Amino acid sequence: MTMELTSLARVSVELQHEIEQFLYHEAALLAEREYRDWLDLFAPDIHYWMPTRYNRLRRELHREFSEPDETAFFDEDYDSLSRRITRLETGMAWAEDPPSRTRHLFTNVRVIPTENVVEFEVHCNFLLYRSRLEHDVEFFVGARTDVLRRTDRGVGWEIARRKVVLDQSTLNAKNLSMFF
Amino acid sequence: MAVDLTTLVDSETGTISPLIYCDEELYELELERVFGRSWLFLAHDSMIPKAGDFFSTYMGEDPVLVVRQKDGSVAAFLNQCRHRGMRLCRADSGNQRGAFTCTYHGWAYGLGGDLISVTHEDDAWHGELDKAAWGCVQVTQVENYKGFIFGNWDPTAPSFTDYLGDFAWYFDVFADRFDNGLEMVGGMHKWVLDCNWKFAAEQFTTDMQHAEISHGSAFIALMPDDFPGLAAMPTDGVQFSSEAGHGCGFFVDGPVLEFVPGPVPARYWQETTLEEATRRIGQARAEGFRAAHFNIFPTFSFLPGLQTMRVWQPKGPGKMEVWAWIAVPRDAPPEVKEAWRLGMIRTFSPGGQFEQDDGENWLEIQKVLKGRMARKFPLNAQMGLGHERYDDPTFPGKTNTCYSETAARGMYQRWIDMMTCDSWSEIQARQEKREALR
Repeated sequence: MTMELTSLARVSVELQHEIEQFLYHEAALLAEREYRDWLDLFAPDIHYWMPTRYNRLRRELHREFSEPDETAFFDEDYDSLSRRITRLETGMAWAEDPPSRTRHLFTNVRVIPTENVVEFEVHCNFLLYRSRLEHDVEFFVGARTDVLRRTDRGVGWEIARRKVVLDQSTLNAKNLSMFF
Repeated sequence: MAVDLTTLVDSETGTISPLIYCDEELYELELERVFGRSWLFLAHDSMIPKAGDFFSTYMGEDPVLVVRQKDGSVAAFLNQCRHRGMRLCRADSGNQRGAFTCTYHGWAYGLGGDLISVTHEDDAWHGELDKAAWGCVQVTQVENYKGFIFGNWDPTAPSFTDYLGDFAWYFDVFADRFDNGLEMVGGMHKWVLDCNWKFAAEQFTTDMQHAEISHGSAFIALMPDDFPGLAAMPTDGVQFSSEAGHGCGFFVDGPVLEFVPGPVPARYWQETTLEEATRRIGQARAEGFRAAHFNIFPTFSFLPGLQTMRVWQPKGPGKMEVWAWIAVPRDAPPEVKEAWRLGMIRTFSPGGQFEQDDGENWLEIQKVLKGRMARKFPLNAQMGLGHERYDDPTFPGKTNTCYSETAARGMYQRWIDMMTCDSWSEIQARQEKREALR
């Protein structure tokens, strides 16, 4: 049975399901620390961005997030993501050696078609849990907006854009040595 | 005080007590005697360009508003209403056209912190409140040094340039290299580290050596594809130690900026602007700082060439916040600024390939210091002890090779001077006595 598409449900149940499975697949790769396989999910033209965020008065809320040409927690391309993984592989990346334990949980997944028939905008909320060393525990909550693109290779999808919004202002963590 | 202050630092033998990083009582005294009397970085001109622009910061643990005035000057005052002590402004930054109005009872203060109106002034206060006496507590001294705004609570403190002393020559490598100065990339990084501020301040004062160990992974990961290998990295460098507690270290040749922030900024720094820089600060300073670490005592740090700049905000004996900016030459073309911006985000930021490992080190020290034995035995800061010199033909003052802890000893000596001296004249007398030894 094919469901009728509506203004809120703009893609089929099958496509929604497939995309959610892609998100979970990616999360599993991160939890298992399969970073090269994880990187392979990204398109060569990936832009991976997490702006910084500030306490602003309501009348200046348009300045709550940093602009694209300003400071950011992450502003990465394929090469810089790859070099982050190279660092982890050296055996000398002390912030991740011994490695952290991370778990990505996703909810509120919304899939929105774009003008490009092979690309979909995928919104989700995330909770990233990190446990590290003896007692360190951190929670990161926020929203992710990805552009997923159909491709012939790999699992059939690649991540063409990622914007991560963190629901914190001052980062309540010693570092961002994990991936979002 | 339970702790005997005279046993904490011995700069002549190069030993320090772990208590300086973790003792509650010392921390409270430090807020009063070090942060209450030192020149602290407040803001850079480019962060508050227009009248009414404000930046909320801290001096020690005291919240301070830094505000651009209508006449272009800068005011700095305690971010606290004088009525019941409420925080006046809870935004990180912004533009205030009219007044800072307390959201508790409505006392309103002008851009300079002067009390301009009080609710029910006529009926409840009977027109008897002396508003002129109840303005915000002003930061006693505020100075703008080449676009860098510093403040000091202590009216008896020396001027900022006297406080810099012989470090001014070095600070100008960063502050005065370009005709049109620096500007901050929009926004900033703030993050929490559960460790004492002195670990970070000390590292930027003295510690080039940790990089090869702490940051080996980042050097490997960021090596440009055409780079001849880690063996080409420089080892020849100089460290400078000010008797006022400031310090810096730098390589005098070789490729470092090519790694961080990358080839585009490296070329701009080392080639494109070399003539401009030489004209302004001379050949030695224009050419001789190939990757450098700096700290102005106590908590203002920067890396010239890499262009990260930060304040280590104390938040307790075992906690601080890093407040970091990216400072780019105002006149640099957009693509150069962009390369610097990306280079710093990817290396010196909470997610930066270099910075991640620093926090790991500092936090683990702090955790270890919960141990009774771990706090009992002195730590070693003796590297290069006895090899200081005052006759470097190029670099003035007390210097050593860049792998040394001369500047750490200088920083901790200044810290203990401030902790134990009752007046600025005593602090300066101790400084002058050490300066006379050369």
